[in-house]
Amino acid sequence: MDIDYPPEAEQYRARVKAFLGEHLPADWAGMGALDEHERERFRLEWRAILAENQMLAVSWPKEYGGAGLTLVEQVVLAEEFAKAGAPVGSENDTFGISMLGNTLIHLGTEEQKQHYLPRILSGEQRWCQGYSEPDAGSDLAGLRTSAVLDGDEWVINGQKTWTSAGHLADHIFVLTRTDADAPKHKGITFLLVPMDQPGVEVRPIRNMAGYALFNEVFFTDARTAAKEVVGGVNDGWRTAMALLGFERGVSATTDAIRFRAEVDRLVALARERGLTGDPRIRERLAWCHSRVEVMRFRGYQALTRSLAGSRPGPEAAISKIIWSEYAQVYTELAMEILGPEALAMTGQRTGGLLQMPEHGTENTARSWVETFMSARAGTIYAGSSQVQRNIIGEQLLGLPKEPRADAGPFRELSRGRA
Amino acid sequence: MDFSYSADQEELRDSVRRFLTDKSPLAKVRADIATELGYDQALWQQMSSQLGLPGLHLPEEHDGSGTGLLEPAVVLEEVGRSLTSTPYAAVLFASLAVLHLGSKEWQAELLPGLASGETIATLATIEVASPTGASALATTAQSRGDQVTLTGAKTLVEHGHSADVLLVSAVGDGGATRLYVVQGDAPGLTRTRLDALDLTRPLAEVRLDAVPAVLLGDVDGLDGLVDVVCALLASEMVGGTAACLEMATAYAKDRFQFNRPIGSFQAVKHRLAEMLVALDGARAAAQYAVLAADTGSPELATVAPLAKAEASEAYTFAAGWNIQVHGGVGFTWEQDAHLYFRRAWTDSALYGVPAAQRARLADRLGL
Repeated sequence: MDIDYPPEAEQYRARVKAFLGEHLPADWAGMGALDEHERERFRLEWRAILAENQMLAVSWPKEYGGAGLTLVEQVVLAEEFAKAGAPVGSENDTFGISMLGNTLIHLGTEEQKQHYLPRILSGEQRWCQGYSEPDAGSDLAGLRTSAVLDGDEWVINGQKTWTSAGHLADHIFVLTRTDADAPKHKGITFLLVPMDQPGVEVRPIRNMAGYALFNEVFFTDARTAAKEVVGGVNDGWRTAMALLGFERGVSATTDAIRFRAEVDRLVALARERGLTGDPRIRERLAWCHSRVEVMRFRGYQALTRSLAGSRPGPEAAISKIIWSEYAQVYTELAMEILGPEALAMTGQRTGGLLQMPEHGTENTARSWVETFMSARAGTIYAGSSQVQRNIIGEQLLGLPKEPRADAGPFRELSRGRA
Repeated sequence: MDFSYSADQEELRDSVRRFLTDKSPLAKVRADIATELGYDQALWQQMSSQLGLPGLHLPEEHDGSGTGLLEPAVVLEEVGRSLTSTPYAAVLFASLAVLHLGSKEWQAELLPGLASGETIATLATIEVASPTGASALATTAQSRGDQVTLTGAKTLVEHGHSADVLLVSAVGDGGATRLYVVQGDAPGLTRTRLDALDLTRPLAEVRLDAVPAVLLGDVDGLDGLVDVVCALLASEMVGGTAACLEMATAYAKDRFQFNRPIGSFQAVKHRLAEMLVALDGARAAAQYAVLAADTGSPELATVAPLAKAEASEAYTFAAGWNIQVHGGVGFTWEQDAHLYFRRAWTDSALYGVPAAQRARLADRLGL
């Protein structure tokens, strides 16, 4: 048993560190130290530098313009970027490069690969994800946005929601209902749709922390070519599940790095207020340290499994529960350390966040309040804690499912709910 | 990077599990614990001579097999799963004290007997006012010429009523805390088996009234030993936690109410999922702590209390919910759930409850 990275991974780590040292600004203190305007400008410049140096699309094979890195190299790169607080791409790259790009490489047609991959990589196309709907949240397969073939085009009608970075995107991959007479998982098709057309409308949703990070997307007779199906007509659920595997990505070891920085910030907050001597606060800070260590150790386990060739499976549900529930507890501790100070905020706005503030964020009351508010989202998005516990119970413990109330043709279900 | 037990270590796990499932089912543990000795000597002999368990980690020059600490951690996990009342843990912890703190002479004297299972030694360190047994001790060692005597009282000594050798922590004339070797039949020694919460492991109180003793070695301080013990105890607790989760899961699949297996109800399913989340974290922490102990990493100082606290909370959580999932039957004497519940709370308190572990952790983090 050992936790040492292979020598070639350490050699690659040295190269990544050298790259970061050479290309990050001399006074680099993390994205969090920039104001909102500087951040946007930096993100664009930085993405161009990454593209020039083959540090973008690190998981893609070289033949498609990717860096063709081994898994452990991808992990090392993500770790070093996380430590430096350097972005690995733009907001839309998560969807374009990690999710869609990898899905196309595995399930796309040759024509789709040739057309889309270079455009995703160059930044010419910015992608977002059209999955959830107002009536299909935890029950994603209950989606109702319809696509009907009209000649050589699909005609799409319906509504998607919680579309992150949708306001910055010009393309969307959409799960659509294409056969309402089939059982609900069997009549879904995965479509690639341009957003710069009259039938697509994006409306921002303001979250409870005050930021518009995600959107509603309305489709009214929107169109896309018949060939823009990924993975086969009515076989989109399989494509969606494959994409989910890429969504999990290589975060196994980076969560611990990013949450470690937050523990440091929390300890500094307590120290500044003279509270590290309070036995109750000390115990809870030690608890936070422990939970982040557990994330680190579990990261080594996940990496060990990946290096042995197994893809992330249902055990990712455990990781999701651990980090998202921890995020609520440690930010609640911050609120307690701040006390009345939290009630009238000072300091720069974070610009909005989905997991934790950017590296280098000032240790202010506002940064903590915004992190605390945003932590409520973590146990809901990307599969709520309740869905994760079903996955753990059924797929890892083998417990029986609840009796199904949604078997049979989708049409009969939707009639009941209409 | 290979943060997992090796194929050989997993094979050891399988063979120990098969052996204990076969030879030490809980009905037998209940019968064994009711005897004066509290365990089955024949069973212990088999574990020692047939499987060679107590000597796995001891050096070959002292008749051991010379493995590291990962192997005993694997065994201890299975011991924790089976609740066997044999003195595996007691002998393991005592042997580590001899190995790390003992003089060459004491190692040569004690280790071969510990490796073969013929000598039962145990740590007598914990005091009512000193849960870790490493500091704030009331037991003192007085030297008169070459002779040393110990005076004081120890509690929660595993197999303390019957062990051949006790390793007793005491504060010497110079103020240093060290371990001393006391023979089980020494004059001035009073040993009383306790009415223990834990029904599957005999615990004793030991009173010392000017008991002749010999210094085990001249290494000061027991903090390092307590850390190794806590790391290993975390492994024992992981085994018990897994047993609770498996019992509860099997019952939830089997037990029908409202014409459905109760495990299909989310109210039950989600508690079982939480037990697995807790077990998974505790397992990772225990594994890392044992690795740190095995490699002598300085990280052990923070990782041991952390792993002990994580495993304690996972075990007490799982043991409590195991009873709840079993319903009324889970509250009966005949059902085994309470045996794990008792062990969970006992292990959780030994060497310090989770809050105390986190206080140690906070100190060591420099908070």
